[in-house]
Amino acid sequence: MPAEKQILVACGTGIATSTVVAEKVSEVCRKNGIVANIIQCKAIEIPSYAAQGVDLIVTTTPLPQKISVPVVNGLAYLTGIGEDQVSERIANELKKP
Amino acid sequence: MGVFKYLLDLGATVMLPIIIFVLGVALGQKPGKAFRSGVVIGIGFVGIGLVLGVLVGNLGPAAQAMVKRLGIELTVVDVGWPAAAAIAFASRAGALIIPLGLAVNIAMLLGRATRTVNVDIWNFWHFAFTGALVTAATGRLWLGVLAAAANAAIVLKLGDWTAPMIQDFYGIPGISLPHGFSAAYVPIALPLDRVIDRIPCINKISIDPESIQERYGIVGDPTVLGVILGLILGVLAGYDVKRALNLSISMAAVMFLMPRMVKVLMEGLIPVSEAAREFMQKRFGGRSFYIGLDSAIAVGHPAAIATAIILVPITIVLAAVIPGNRVLPFGDLATIPFMVAMVAPIVRGNVFRSVVIGAVVIGVGLLIATNVAALHTQAAIEAQFTLPEGATLISSICDGANPLTWLLMKIASLLG
Repeated sequence: MPAEKQILVACGTGIATSTVVAEKVSEVCRKNGIVANIIQCKAIEIPSYAAQGVDLIVTTTPLPQKISVPVVNGLAYLTGIGEDQVSERIANELKKP
Repeated sequence: MGVFKYLLDLGATVMLPIIIFVLGVALGQKPGKAFRSGVVIGIGFVGIGLVLGVLVGNLGPAAQAMVKRLGIELTVVDVGWPAAAAIAFASRAGALIIPLGLAVNIAMLLGRATRTVNVDIWNFWHFAFTGALVTAATGRLWLGVLAAAANAAIVLKLGDWTAPMIQDFYGIPGISLPHGFSAAYVPIALPLDRVIDRIPCINKISIDPESIQERYGIVGDPTVLGVILGLILGVLAGYDVKRALNLSISMAAVMFLMPRMVKVLMEGLIPVSEAAREFMQKRFGGRSFYIGLDSAIAVGHPAAIATAIILVPITIVLAAVIPGNRVLPFGDLATIPFMVAMVAPIVRGNVFRSVVIGAVVIGVGLLIATNVAALHTQAAIEAQFTLPEGATLISSICDGANPLTWLLMKIASLLG
């Protein structure tokens, strides 16, 4: 069994837009056979979660600080424009060992 | 009409699931899935009601004790936006808000009165909240519905107007933020920014956001905020150590649990909101339109977060010193970033200016929130949220202190 990937999904509230994005991200994982733990959080909480070790951050809002983890902008899931490209980028990031 | 009235009288936990089910099926969802969405929304309401009980039941008595001991009359509990949103959706105007909001948007798009295709169905609650207050104030549902529609239309115009500035500042092309709370502060922030421009010396001050966030980041964490505020209130109320510590953890629990309950509500709403988005985009796609999103996508910006961190203690001090204020800020201390999300681009990210403007609108906002407390409480009771005995009044900053909501309510009350 492959190691579980840790994915952080963030927006301003950690509730509203990130819930939509988290659902899409879990769909991407399912389709690509990726085992992942998705954590939803507020933008302000990103640094403390990132310190615990995450593989990918998907965010709909600008990051408050520079972070060394790969970041994908999830706005496309809200606008419906360019969704497939974003899904592909997320899948590619997660398939990296 | 009889059937409709019966439905509305069932109460939010039953009525909204039925409405969401019907809406879902009408928008092309499978009945099984639509049924589950509806039930999940009902569960969200039950959850919010529980946490609201913990909040008012603990904070209310502490506030009363504080009044007796120190004479600080802050007896109106700020329940925060999650509770306000639930009250709004659970109101009779709220029952109609999704079709109403979509209809206003479609009419304005067809009449070329707006460029924004608002796909942020969740935040229709702001319009519903205005409707709920107006209905509570006038006893007339049609006036509430009218006010909610007017609110939706005004916010679309504000979204259009601010779009170029927002897109540029946040780097989000093609997007506008027709947000009932954030956008309401734009017409106030613009003239205030001009005033600051004219004050010698003050107009030179500029603070950069990054330095603040790194130093004081932990205060922005709502759970920590809950612990600290609970403890301070316990001490001010004259509680012994045991009771103060209990209050402290209860308040942290409210800060932590309330958003999770709203998340349940959101989960139920997502399928309907997705279906509505597809419906709107199929008809109004293309480059000449802006897509209207939640301002939650902007509040992660360093300028918004840094401003909010500084405004938290300022809000508490303002609440204590402003004559006539009765609101004890709590639930919405974590909502301040939304207040400044659309102010930050106006002041070009200068945290000094957004703090000054924020302090002004919060100061006035506390008086507005005090003014609407009775109606806010009545709207909660009409939505069948059970508040603990010896009921303290409740209010909120979002949207209890919202100047646009207040203005619309006053105008509608004159008509009623």
